[in-house]
Amino acid sequence: MQLMDTVLVVDDEPAIREIFTVYLEMNGYKSHAVTGGRECLLWLKTQKPDLILLDLMMEPMDGWETLLAIRQYPPSSQIPVIIITGKTPTAEDLVQYGGLIEDFIVKPVDFKMICESFHRIIENDRDLGREIDRVKNEGQDPEFLTEYIRLLRLTSVTNNLKKRLKDRQCSDQIPLKKLEERLQWLHEKLGFPDQVRSSSPLH
Amino acid sequence: MTEKIRIIIVEDEALVAEDLKEMLRGFGYEVSGIAKTGEKAIALAGEHHPDLVLMDINLSGAMDGITAGGEIHSRWSIPIIYVTAFATQAIIDRAKKTTPSGYILKPFNERQIQTALEIALYNHELEEQAKENERTIRILANAIPDAVMLLDHNRQIIALNDAMARRLGYNHTQVHGDSTVRFNRDGMFTPLESRISEILCSGRPVRFEEKNQNEWFEVSLILISGSDEQSSRIFVQYHDITDHKRFEEALKTEGITQIEKNMEQFQTLNDQIRNPLQAIMGYVNLDCHQYRERIMGQIMQIDGLVSRLDRGWVESRKVKRFLLRHYLDNPDDVPDSISQENGGRCS
Repeated sequence: MQLMDTVLVVDDEPAIREIFTVYLEMNGYKSHAVTGGRECLLWLKTQKPDLILLDLMMEPMDGWETLLAIRQYPPSSQIPVIIITGKTPTAEDLVQYGGLIEDFIVKPVDFKMICESFHRIIENDRDLGREIDRVKNEGQDPEFLTEYIRLLRLTSVTNNLKKRLKDRQCSDQIPLKKLEERLQWLHEKLGFPDQVRSSSPLH
Repeated sequence: MTEKIRIIIVEDEALVAEDLKEMLRGFGYEVSGIAKTGEKAIALAGEHHPDLVLMDINLSGAMDGITAGGEIHSRWSIPIIYVTAFATQAIIDRAKKTTPSGYILKPFNERQIQTALEIALYNHELEEQAKENERTIRILANAIPDAVMLLDHNRQIIALNDAMARRLGYNHTQVHGDSTVRFNRDGMFTPLESRISEILCSGRPVRFEEKNQNEWFEVSLILISGSDEQSSRIFVQYHDITDHKRFEEALKTEGITQIEKNMEQFQTLNDQIRNPLQAIMGYVNLDCHQYRERIMGQIMQIDGLVSRLDRGWVESRKVKRFLLRHYLDNPDDVPDSISQENGGRCS
């Protein structure tokens, strides 16, 4: 058996940290919880988790700021991040940050169920990472690759929100069809295998 | 009339002067002095301010009657009647330029003098009254802070108050026939031209707002119809509404700021409600099997309520966009803070 995957929980609510940690450990993850954005960045200096669960409304450093900092710090720039928050996203949130995250989950949610899906997300991310390395070695245009990853995340997040939220104000404003056409074009151009696009959590 | 009318006689022939004096007294006038020379005449007029001067043209001394009469009339606007035996065209032409109130040829008779005096005095009173009327109108026109003017159907200025003269860049309120409004002056009055055509066409009052640099005006045009098209007038009024506009803008900004605050509060509140729900859900799933379904049902009910608040929040975003689009339709109008926030972020 391979090593246990590590999940980092970033949430300012003690009860949430406790519950998430309990469920994560029940589902076979190693977990660590921190109380805010700064603590998260500090922890990332010495550790490399396989997944980050990030709350949005935190003080003084909010989730979006934390996300940008995670992405800008090279050791953590490729770690998958899932937003779990009580705030419903806006279309602007999606446009701005949708390409940087694996999923956007609105609380309250059956945590037992989503915990199971994290394994697949982490596994997918590893597959994607290997494919990215392959494409890089092939000498493909790095701008296409960056756009591909962004679109892959954005369309997946938008599709997930569409399925889960009754109120589709945010996702309906994203020109999903156009983005998916572009994504397909990039997918074929860069020669990615189909399985990296097929799965997304919480179906 | 309580006070007698006072007249000065200017005549270098003593006999004629005496004759005139008797005559005037007979008509009931008072003779305040007799001068033999032009210089003396001016001095007397300055001292007594008579109601009229009877002026001989050919005088002893350097100054003739026309020069003296002209001086007296222009200095104190005292009416002058020339009395003379000379009547060459050249003399009459010179006399005309001093705007005399009468011209009597010697030899004269009593009746001629009396008629000339009465007409001159009456005309002078009318002139004074007209001047007074003009003064009253000017006082009234300048008493209002608005810039106003009256145009004829050819867009020529007939009258204007000081405020309008300043706006037009005139340094004198006296306007002559050739003054057409310079419609493009500093960007002001530019929209006026088409509006004048509009009002001449429809006859209905026109009202619009005009912005000039940092000032706002409400401009009103009213057509005052005369007996024919030629005599119709257009009244133009520029009312300064800058303060009003600024207040309005401040209100809008405040309104939008309030909506933004509400939106933020909704977000924070919803997040704060959902966190305990998430925690309860987690704890219940861990070790409460008997009532698990019921508690989950209750949680979902609360979540439904919070979602409704979310939709309210979406609605208020809509309200904000609506405000930005419809109330602040003029880009100049958008307060800086809002225009920045709105710039390019909304897809």
